[in-house]
Amino acid sequence: MATPAPPSRARGITSDLTVDESLLIHAAGWEPLDLVCGVGIVSVPAGVWNWGNGVVGAASDAHDASVDIAARELRAECGKVKGHGVVGVRVEVSVHPHHVDVELVGTAVRPMEAQDPRGDDAARAMPFVSDLSARDFTLLLRAGWMPVGLAFGASFVYAPRRTAGAAMRQSTQNVELTNYTQAMYAARESAMEKMQRSALHVGGQGVVEVKVTEGPMRFARHAIGFTAWGTAVKLVAEAHRFVRPEMVLPLDDAVVQFEADSLRGEGSRGRSRR
Amino acid sequence: MTDSGPSTPPAPPPPPPPPASGSAADLPKDAAHRLEELEHGLFTSDLSVNEFLLVKEAGFHPLGFVMGSSIYHIGIQTRKWGQSQELTKLTEAMYTARELAMNRMEEEAEQLGADGVVGVRLDVNYYEWGSDSAEFIAFGTAVKAEDGNSYRNALGKPFTSDLSGQDFWTLMQTGHVPQALVMGTCVFHIAHRKLTQALGSMGQNTELPNFTQALYEARELAMTRMQDEAGRLQASGIVGVRLEEKSHQWGSHTIEFLALGTAVTKGSGEVTLPKPTTIISLDN
Repeated sequence: MATPAPPSRARGITSDLTVDESLLIHAAGWEPLDLVCGVGIVSVPAGVWNWGNGVVGAASDAHDASVDIAARELRAECGKVKGHGVVGVRVEVSVHPHHVDVELVGTAVRPMEAQDPRGDDAARAMPFVSDLSARDFTLLLRAGWMPVGLAFGASFVYAPRRTAGAAMRQSTQNVELTNYTQAMYAARESAMEKMQRSALHVGGQGVVEVKVTEGPMRFARHAIGFTAWGTAVKLVAEAHRFVRPEMVLPLDDAVVQFEADSLRGEGSRGRSRR
Repeated sequence: MTDSGPSTPPAPPPPPPPPASGSAADLPKDAAHRLEELEHGLFTSDLSVNEFLLVKEAGFHPLGFVMGSSIYHIGIQTRKWGQSQELTKLTEAMYTARELAMNRMEEEAEQLGADGVVGVRLDVNYYEWGSDSAEFIAFGTAVKAEDGNSYRNALGKPFTSDLSGQDFWTLMQTGHVPQALVMGTCVFHIAHRKLTQALGSMGQNTELPNFTQALYEARELAMTRMQDEAGRLQASGIVGVRLEEKSHQWGSHTIEFLALGTAVTKGSGEVTLPKPTTIISLDN
């Protein structure tokens, strides 16, 4: 069993963790090492955004490729500082007319003394990447789970068109537009399916905090993009460990919204439930 | 959530449009394909880590992120300038389209063998290429009970609920189980005031009874319809009710009132409620 090398204290630690998160992660027996990043930029052939039918295959290929490159770079940087994984990864995906740009920035971490639940060598060979905060990471660890990687999926479609005749007929009616519904449904499902496949590929048993973004492209309003991503997780303990929460009632007058809302992940889209 | 007492406006509400029957507009192939993959042990969910752990704590395991959508063309109905009235055709459109989206989401959950769907969100999107149509979407995470009991609702379908993971756990602690996301909607046209009325009230402190009454009636209609849905499920109550008002794209005098909540029933078992620990936090 190889013990982890001491961190290169010559330079000290750089991380974007807050003081609280830093405390939590140390309390869980892990330490931050360095801020690492990965960038992937892949070109999109000219003309793919012009009017067409069905899916914009070239764009989703470019998206997948740039995600792969960015994640690979991030893992490589993490490996250089002898990290076992990257937490709190900020994900920025921007699709431009001629290229797709993916940027990942996060903090590399590793266990201090205890062994990595996945085995040290395996962990070093394939560091995990996760957009979960350090807080969520420690909570998952406590329950016996670990993140294994980011799961990504995207698809782009051209907005379908109605014939002028159909539009006329339907203009005063309440009616479902089945071809539109089908096209959007298919695109959304395909983005999610790709996400699932990439989760399985990194050995995940589940994906948490799935975020879905969708909408017309800024530069080509007739094309609609769907992306879905989340952190793939895996059970590393023998069984799920229950966390047994306790109910508390803060007595402060000006309660800083302590419960539900503040604990809810920030990233998840449109959580306007309350 | 009872009727709001003596001040209920006298005008008898028109009968609520019947919600669309569960016409199993079959799921697209792509959905079936994705869900098949999910049956091989991978789960997906938009639950945060907190919610994931709490759903586990409540005895459920997430199965998959499910969704349903419908792009719906909303018809046209003429309005009278000076008369407040419900626009039944628009109400019906809003109802039917949401039901279609919800039904498809339930079908996806059904295909995964789920007991229910938590964290349901309903959204309406408008796209530039179809200003007279809107996309209605329902999202949620399908869950299954780990104790093998069935938690399906009175209609034999997976339960649905817009409660977050936190609220879901807390609700289960009280011995209640969610039945279904219930909703009531009413699209109402609010009369413009006559010029003489507007002049008459100028400079005065005065209630505008026709506005008050129209808004009142529309809200009551939406709430009543929501309660009727809960009644059909033999629910013992509705929690987390929200009342939303939106003009969508109809201009300022036509408003949709949407009431949403989770219908719940009391489980059979005895429950001893834990006593929350009181704390005082030292920050700030």
